Amino acid sequence: MTVQQAAFNEGFVDADGFRIRYMEAGQGTPVIHLHGAGGMRLTQAHTLLSRQFRVIVFEMPGFGVSPVNDRTQSVRELGATMASAVLALGIERYDVIATSFGARVALWMALQRPERILALVLEAPAAIRPAGHQPPSGTPEQIARQLYAHPERAPMAPVDPDVQAKQRALVGRLRGPDRDTDLEARLRDLATPTLVLFGTLERVIPPDMGRHYKTLLPNCQLVFVYDAGHEISTDRPEAFADVTADFLERHEAFVINRKDTRISP
Amino acid sequence: MKVSYFETGRYVPPPDMPREWPVPSGNYDAAVGTEALRGMVERVKFVESLGFDWISLSEHHYSPRILTPSPVVAATWLAARTERIRIAMLGPIVPVSNPIRIAEEMAMLDTLAPGRIVIGLLRGTTNEYLSYDLNPTEARERTDEGMDLILKAWTEPQPFGWQGRHFQYRTVSIWPRLQDPPPPTYALGTSAEAGEFAARHHLGLGVSYGTFEIMARATNYYRERCAEYGWQPEPDDIIYRANMILGETDEEAEATLQRRDRQGAFPVRPSLRDALLDADIKRNVAGERRAQPVGGVLPISFCGGPDRIVEQIRQCREKVGAGVLDLSLQDPGTGDTDAMLRALELFGRKVLPRIREI
Repeated sequence: MTVQQAAFNEGFVDADGFRIRYMEAGQGTPVIHLHGAGGMRLTQAHTLLSRQFRVIVFEMPGFGVSPVNDRTQSVRELGATMASAVLALGIERYDVIATSFGARVALWMALQRPERILALVLEAPAAIRPAGHQPPSGTPEQIARQLYAHPERAPMAPVDPDVQAKQRALVGRLRGPDRDTDLEARLRDLATPTLVLFGTLERVIPPDMGRHYKTLLPNCQLVFVYDAGHEISTDRPEAFADVTADFLERHEAFVINRKDTRISP
Repeated sequence: MKVSYFETGRYVPPPDMPREWPVPSGNYDAAVGTEALRGMVERVKFVESLGFDWISLSEHHYSPRILTPSPVVAATWLAARTERIRIAMLGPIVPVSNPIRIAEEMAMLDTLAPGRIVIGLLRGTTNEYLSYDLNPTEARERTDEGMDLILKAWTEPQPFGWQGRHFQYRTVSIWPRLQDPPPPTYALGTSAEAGEFAARHHLGLGVSYGTFEIMARATNYYRERCAEYGWQPEPDDIIYRANMILGETDEEAEATLQRRDRQGAFPVRPSLRDALLDADIKRNVAGERRAQPVGGVLPISFCGGPDRIVEQIRQCREKVGAGVLDLSLQDPGTGDTDAMLRALELFGRKVLPRIREI
């Protein structure tokens, strides 16, 4: 099934001394998406979510078309920058979806201003990593096989090597220790409803890491998305959007099934 | 070589019993059914005394041929009444079941009978998709996903949700859990999907009824996939379920083979059979498309006196690589049980001691 790509409008917002690019579609509760180490990329999952939410997909400073960012010193700072970008759009309360590298940024955002964030969805989060973890490497094909359970669903557009080098340097500088003890200690008091998603075919971050979030965060749900790799929203966009939308709408009450299973009245 | 006896709950039907599947349950005779099921204990104790390593059970519905629609109920009953023998559920039919229920029941049984349970997870025969109204075209995918979910339910220590294609759960956290170490677990089937799943999850593989050559294709594929995942299966990781006719002599066994009542396992009427085969499109052996013979007669893999049987088992080991033979010494639901018990006794006396080193 292919989903008709929604018209996402490009915008820029000035915040914290950066000019930050974003793509936006849909109406309703604002949902902010913070991308992973590979940079911003629209997927079918964004389109699906935009039918129900006002989806704003940011390109964090130093990624994609933005200039080199050698000012931001930590993901904590990056979190503050992104929070001010959302505020600059006039949005005071919102949901956050964060992918992989973006998860630590989002958690710092939530820790700094918990009252602003309604709920968090962490897609294959890299905020807690096994010791000595290495990001995907190799040829583009090898990297695709690490990122996707279904590389055939991955975008075909070649990535500009200069952009790639710029992003890699930034992520290398900001990714921080595999276990951020300061962050983890604070998570114990973060009441924000949080959904952690891992694909059952995840090959970048061991899905077993999911249980750390579940243990640390007082209000955390852990869901495995079957037949998805690291890029869950590309491997299984409908499944990702379905569970994400349900959680953002109902938070922990999403465990209550409300599907009508009657065959005939 | 380890040996398993396939216990089917031997319901011996009268000759005029309709054979077409589903068999009308109005023909059921409670006294015969009671004897068939309660007699399991005696037969299992008997093979235990003969030195068999396992007994196996399977899930089939709507027929007297195999009277264990719930293998876990039979396994629980038998585990409580025997001492040593391992009880292999080969197994729950995953695509028609609630995978969480399977995970829970297996963990419960493993707790009640620690060290004595063997678990096989399978897709099931084509006719079984009619039993619980499963779309045959979804059977393969539901099996793969269901098995994945069962393994996750066994191993994940935190409550979790499952966003699947065919199954969705928002909170799973099973009690009790499996013992440590967990029971031997197998994916059952000859398909590329079964071999791949077993290899990826470090499980064993169980194959059944085909010739040594065809089974070897499936087990070779499995071994190749295991190598790809960086491990090498042991002989105990491969089960071969097969029919055997054992006589005191080759001639006696041949004569029994000639007399064999060649009835299909679960015969369905031809028009329905053809429609089922059309719908059940994903059957394969190691990736090569191969329809299941719906309702067909199951072949005899081993036939002869003790010497010839030992030689056939040696060949089986060489070709198929199986370290566990799961045997029927008479077609289920046919013939007289006493003859089968005599064959089992002969096997225990004349064959079993000679195949231990194979």
